[in-house]
Amino acid sequence: MNTRCAACKYLRRRCPSDCIFSPYFPPHDPQRFASIHRIYGASNVARMLQQLPVNQRAATVDCLYYEAQCRVQDPVCGCVGVISLLYQEIHNAETKLAKTKAQIALFVDSNSAREDFEVESDLNVLLHEEGNEFAHLGPSNQVSFGFT
Amino acid sequence: MSATPSSSGGGSGSSGGGGGPCGACKFLRRKCVLGCIFAPYFDSEQGAAHFAAVHKVFGASNVSKLLLHIPVQKRLDAVVTICYEAQARLRDPVYGCVAHIFALQQQVVNLQAELSYLQAHLATLELPSPPPPPPPPTLVTPPPLSISDLPSATSVPTTYDLSSLFEPIVQVQPSWAMQQRQMDPRQYGGSCSTSTGSGDLQALARELVHRQGSPQHGSAPCADASSPSMSK
Repeated sequence: MNTRCAACKYLRRRCPSDCIFSPYFPPHDPQRFASIHRIYGASNVARMLQQLPVNQRAATVDCLYYEAQCRVQDPVCGCVGVISLLYQEIHNAETKLAKTKAQIALFVDSNSAREDFEVESDLNVLLHEEGNEFAHLGPSNQVSFGFT
Repeated sequence: MSATPSSSGGGSGSSGGGGGPCGACKFLRRKCVLGCIFAPYFDSEQGAAHFAAVHKVFGASNVSKLLLHIPVQKRLDAVVTICYEAQARLRDPVYGCVAHIFALQQQVVNLQAELSYLQAHLATLELPSPPPPPPPPTLVTPPPLSISDLPSATSVPTTYDLSSLFEPIVQVQPSWAMQQRQMDPRQYGGSCSTSTGSGDLQALARELVHRQGSPQHGSAPCADASSPSMSK
């Protein structure tokens, strides 16, 4: 038994065997064609599909459905609303990325500065100890290490 | 920018009546009556070219019905976005503007992956004891995007005021399957409402149309020559 596709059901017409809509509008999903029809119209969609190779039509219908849904849900902005959202997400991510990189750089810099300080402190301690070790040799052998 | 009829001395002819047909009526070769719904948005010069794209993709009656259901102050925004989608569809008959959305979505995924890695790296640096070196960045190539991964415009509020940002939404369609956190389509970067004056979304829509360019010139649909920022 030949079941009409969702498009032909919606259009209340017979569904021919070579119906251009039937591969992409199964009868169990009437909303799909309804949305597309509301925004684009049946004849425009049929013409678009006819101008495309068969292997590209499924993707085309999917995109048309997506765009139609965006337009139905947001009649003013349609897909541009989604694009705006994505630009905002990109901006937010780039901002956070820059901040995180700055934090890492700051952390690395402060660690380097601390290590330099620690190395210098260790050296001073070492030199002081060595100075004490040679103190018994007399003042002439004492070398000023530049600290008190 | 609010939708205003042509304020010039009838030269552009964007309104019905004595100024000549608007771009839409010129294209349709019909009389441009007073109160023509297209007249404020399609001037008689470049408007015809823009309307040609809109007509080819959506059809005049569908666009007319769409505009009739939109408040007057938001119709200009609607026309701009419709023009953008129409031109995108003509340039790419298969994906239309979804190709752009896919590209942006991929960019978001890449940025968030990089951010996650760096935040993990920062966390290891902040540990008191010297941590083991972080694993080399293994930015896993995300699987190819599909339509179901894209955000929907579901639950987008009809009033696009900034106070509605960051409100949780219920995603009707599965989206952002690749992401760890849900994207909120209502995190709008701007307002689409013309009543607020200039919205980021308006500027974006116009910029998108401007980038795509018209068949003849690189200008966005313009009601009349006096419309600021629409024609460049």
